[in-house]
Amino acid sequence: MSSVNGAVPTTIIVAGLALAGYALLMTALNRRMNVPLLAATGVLEILLLVEVGLVVAKLAGGERPASLPTLIGYLIATPIVPLAAAFWGLMERTRWGPAVIAVAGVVAAVLMVRLHEIWPVIHV
Amino acid sequence: MSDSQPSPEPKPSPEPQPSPEPKTSPEPAARPDSTRTGPGRLLVAIYGLFALSASARAGVQIVTKFGHAPVAYLLSAFAAVVYILATVTLSVGSPTARRIAVLSCSIELVGVLAVGTWSLADPATFPDATVWSGYGSGYGFVPLVLPVFGLLWLRYWAKRPKPGGTIPPSAQPPPKAAPGDAVHGEAGASGQGTVDVVADGNA
Repeated sequence: MSSVNGAVPTTIIVAGLALAGYALLMTALNRRMNVPLLAATGVLEILLLVEVGLVVAKLAGGERPASLPTLIGYLIATPIVPLAAAFWGLMERTRWGPAVIAVAGVVAAVLMVRLHEIWPVIHV
Repeated sequence: MSDSQPSPEPKPSPEPQPSPEPKTSPEPAARPDSTRTGPGRLLVAIYGLFALSASARAGVQIVTKFGHAPVAYLLSAFAAVVYILATVTLSVGSPTARRIAVLSCSIELVGVLAVGTWSLADPATFPDATVWSGYGSGYGFVPLVLPVFGLLWLRYWAKRPKPGGTIPPSAQPPPKAAPGDAVHGEAGASGQGTVDVVADGNA
């Protein structure tokens, strides 16, 4: 159980940072948003939804973090990050669209670390 | 493994801006039609992120444990308001909005410097962190860097010619626009970059 819980956030951290690196490369090469970048953002979104599902399952199992409101805030905000970034990045027709995606990738990784700080039961 | 993570992560976010910023200024000179486009797109995204996280954090702190650190929580709430104001005004981009944006970025810079110093000098007042304590160290120092880029962007915008006017006179430093490439406008980044621009087609 704990190995599953640990694998997903770790994957998200790696995937988020990889996405950020890829997106920054696109920015450096003066590329706009493209399909591969959008697909990668979609993968990150799916991973985040899986993690949210795991946390909700733990909550449903009766366990509670120190600060429940904070955790719920994170559960709501986390899946919004890639969606908002994709939306905002697609509106931009220059290299700065991918730069927005890079921010989302870094934020996803940071959110996993913070999630672990809020509730150490969720292993990162 | 978990505890070693926080330090490396926050760093990448301030880095997108520094290097590309001066390069871009000459090339899409006629492109961005608002403070929310071009580099502003990134700026508004990061401001929005901080507006959201600062207000959520302040809200939870004030509702659940206000007595614990009232000064810190009120400053968190103030920071949240400033971030919201900056996000909205930067994305609106009208002349009035830009003036308010300059004001809120300035308040933000003063705030992060003042609260950062205060939190180091008098830790007893800050048993719990704010966005600005330790000069924003809990957020990878992004709160310290963000207002500087906000003000630079607004200043650059204020100096640019109207969208109607084609070529920026001399206000902008042209690092590599030397050989009359201005005709290509969007390509801008002279010479070596031409293939990339063509490859962009599949957007």
